[in-house]
Amino acid sequence: MKTTGRRSLILIILTVAFFFGLSVFLYGLVTHGGTWAIQPFNGHLTGTSTSSAGRVLDRNGTVLAQTKNGKRVYTDDLETRRAMLHAVGDSNGFISTGVQSVYCGELFGYNPITGLASPTGKSAGCDINLTLDASLCRLAREKLGDRNGVAAVYNYKTGEMLCMVSTPDFDPQNPPKDLDTNKAYSGAYLNKVLSSTFIPGSIFKTVTSAAAIENISDLDSRVWNCPGSITVNGNQITDIRSYGKLHFKDALAKSSNVAFAQIAIELGTERMSAEAQSMGFGHNFSLDGISCAKSSYSVKGASEDELGWSGVGQYTDLVNPFHFLVLMGAVANGGTPVMPYMVKSIVQPLGLPQKTGSGQMGSELLQPSTAERLKSYLRYNVTNQYGDSMFSNLAVCAKTGTGEVGGGKSPNCWMVGFSSNSSTPLAFVVLVENSSSGSLSSAGRIASSLMTAAAKVVS
Amino acid sequence: MLFLFRIIVPILTAVVALKCFHSLRLGKRRESPVMVLEDMTTHQVIPVLYWENSIGRSRSCDVVLRDQTASRAHAVLMRRESGWFVSDTNSKAGTFVNGRKVLGRTPVCPGDVIAMGSTVLMLKSTEEVGAAPAQPPRRCAASPFGLLFLTFLTQALLALQVAFSKGKFSLSFLYPLAVLAVLEWALYLYSIKILGHVSFELETLAFLLCGIGLAIQSGVDLKSSWTQVTAIAAGIVLYRIMIWFLGDMDRVMRWRTGIAVFALILFAVNLLFARSRNGARNWINYGSLSLQPSEFIKIAFILVGTSTLDRLQTYRNLSGFIGFSAICMGALFLMRDFGTACIFFVMFLIIAFMRSGSVRTIALALAVAAFGAFLILKIKPYVAQRFEVWRHVWEHTGDAGYQQVRVLSYSASGGMFGVGVGHGCLRDVFASTSDLVFGMVCEELGVVLAVIVVLILASLALYARSEASRSRSTLYSIAACTAGGVLLFQTCLNVFGATDVLPLTGVTLPFISLGGSSMVSVWGMLAFLKACDERTYAARRSRK
Repeated sequence: MKTTGRRSLILIILTVAFFFGLSVFLYGLVTHGGTWAIQPFNGHLTGTSTSSAGRVLDRNGTVLAQTKNGKRVYTDDLETRRAMLHAVGDSNGFISTGVQSVYCGELFGYNPITGLASPTGKSAGCDINLTLDASLCRLAREKLGDRNGVAAVYNYKTGEMLCMVSTPDFDPQNPPKDLDTNKAYSGAYLNKVLSSTFIPGSIFKTVTSAAAIENISDLDSRVWNCPGSITVNGNQITDIRSYGKLHFKDALAKSSNVAFAQIAIELGTERMSAEAQSMGFGHNFSLDGISCAKSSYSVKGASEDELGWSGVGQYTDLVNPFHFLVLMGAVANGGTPVMPYMVKSIVQPLGLPQKTGSGQMGSELLQPSTAERLKSYLRYNVTNQYGDSMFSNLAVCAKTGTGEVGGGKSPNCWMVGFSSNSSTPLAFVVLVENSSSGSLSSAGRIASSLMTAAAKVVS
Repeated sequence: MLFLFRIIVPILTAVVALKCFHSLRLGKRRESPVMVLEDMTTHQVIPVLYWENSIGRSRSCDVVLRDQTASRAHAVLMRRESGWFVSDTNSKAGTFVNGRKVLGRTPVCPGDVIAMGSTVLMLKSTEEVGAAPAQPPRRCAASPFGLLFLTFLTQALLALQVAFSKGKFSLSFLYPLAVLAVLEWALYLYSIKILGHVSFELETLAFLLCGIGLAIQSGVDLKSSWTQVTAIAAGIVLYRIMIWFLGDMDRVMRWRTGIAVFALILFAVNLLFARSRNGARNWINYGSLSLQPSEFIKIAFILVGTSTLDRLQTYRNLSGFIGFSAICMGALFLMRDFGTACIFFVMFLIIAFMRSGSVRTIALALAVAAFGAFLILKIKPYVAQRFEVWRHVWEHTGDAGYQQVRVLSYSASGGMFGVGVGHGCLRDVFASTSDLVFGMVCEELGVVLAVIVVLILASLALYARSEASRSRSTLYSIAACTAGGVLLFQTCLNVFGATDVLPLTGVTLPFISLGGSSMVSVWGMLAFLKACDERTYAARRSRK
């Protein structure tokens, strides 16, 4: 029997294995419990259970999402629902950058002790107030119509995001059945303002301009010959038409590729790269902790003609809309941006604020003097080229762009800029993808109505 | 209020469990000998510590003979209800009691002389040699009534949860739990009052676990909870029958061949008539009754595998048992029931090791098993798929990892104390009340209770181990260790499969999972543990 007793120690092996496995599970639960719980398929979040989640509201207190009778309900207006989709998020968590996904812990009240259960039976989730203006977003979406693109506006003094719209979108209340199969919805899960990069085209000339301002001392007195096209390294760089001889600010206003390609070639890869890097290319910006896609400018090993094209926003240049929004904010703000935020406050069920958002100063993207000069050139674009009547009384400084994407598609039409009026400190980015009507008549019109409406919001 | 109850339930459960195991510890016999053997030439006194004692030259024997003429494992001296016996275990020189050669089992009384080789021993009671008196009176363990009452209280709190599971108070959900309460008190009265047993800890623990499982079931589906409680009732009947059957070791040994044949016939019937369910052909439907024969074969397997010490020492060869195991495993492979095959394999390992102590046999078995596993992965792609998603379930939330990620997600959602019976979401996932029941307990009653539940199951195995040398026979020790090991192994497969610590297998959690055959068989396993407790069969003598 002694032997039998000793041999029974074989059970100890099993027991050790059991405790090891149990520790693996419990360790995971302690360290990842929150992530485990906060899953799109979790019925406690989408509301089949009694535990109730917090609301999402816009800057005016409009309820964008709430839980009613155990179901997640979005605002009544379909257009607003769709416009706010990417900021708010959906019920299935497919939109990972929406506040419902990013702040699900706060919204749904997860904590390791009670999980998602609510001991009191009342809502345990916090309300989240956004800085976004639902009607402004709705307007932007309406103006975009069925075209794909992005529109974003923020207050470059306070940092409040006012508008952030990405299309295509869908109705989070009634997600279409063909969401994953219909090509029209391709990219609908992405908030392109934050998560995508695009070929910039001429809006990149703001970067080339900044490099020129800092590196070419006689910039304003120089004259560029723009005969409609030049040949560099055996390749043609073309303009829409011949502009003849142009001063720098007219070259920017008329957006001459020929002039800016020559400037980029003159500056060379190193100075261009350095300028792009200091202006935030390759930097990881974030909005309330939501990480954005990086803009990229890479001319390493580029030939002279490629360097020329890179200076006008082609070649391999890619920009992230949010980055350019911040960049415009920086130009408007003397070189250093106030970083945008969209979560105004997170309020606990009893009314106590858990978190309050505010615009933090970012790091310097341009030297103050560069920012000042660039601002005047951008203002000149509007007054002399685009027409100041587009933005009445806003003293807008801006740049348009058409990024040629190739592949039989029409270009990305851009307009980026800001109002230099101190009473309307607004910066904007508008992009219409695959647009054949030119940047002013596509992105420009949207920017025009958006800025006019946004000006009313801040005043 | 209900949340408060959900905090109290795990506390009460822990208290009951701790008290039960404490009481089991107290109930153990002190290791003071009742009898001694005195060497007639050297007058050296050798204490007889166990119920079955191996005698021989080998140092691993309980009574070591320093005698070159004695065999390494010479004989077995054992205590039975009717007294002491000695059996010769194929020794070269033979064993003699009072000068008469021992053939088979021979009774020995105090004063009798046992001769082995050139050694002569006299059996004496401890008082005769003037050593310490026999056993001190058994200390009073925790009152069985109190423990069961606490269990009942826990179940009452669970019942309140169940009653409110649909939002408002509803009595009809409580009937299965009420039946369980009746069952437990009936068994209590039968065991303690009618049979005069002194211990009820293991049963109390089983009822505690059953109550938790039944509460979960009741919150999901009333119909299945009736199935559950019926299975528990059937399990209790089997339990009592097995306790009776195991009471006579000779009867067990006599019936072994019959049981083995019966098990094989059951497998054959299964293979011929089984319906395939979820990929495994392990169900037999007879009218509205559906049975899983392999669950009962588990019990048969243990009965066939275990043995008393004298037989172990006489017939050292494992080949018969290995052959039987091989046929069982083969049948399970044909049924494609790989989860149960794993369980049988672990039973085989425990029994084989406890019988032979041969590491070589175990290594060989493991090698064969590894080869078998390799073959399965080659020819059964769906098994391989489970291995592929293992530890990668979050990349497969919609397909192969569907069940596991939901278990994890909802386990975390429940927090420490759960969202309440009937308020969980895991219930809608396939196999939520059987394979994924651990997640259900976590979600609805909280992680704390779920951990206590599995700790109780693990403690049962440890209890079996600690009784291994104290039981009345190696027959009980081996059976109990195997049963305890299987309960723990099933717990591991169930809990770790569902939580992605191991690949998902589809094995039930003892006492908790919804199951007919499996619930009945778990009570059978408990009977092995109970039989191992020395006190189980002591009561009868006290009534004589």
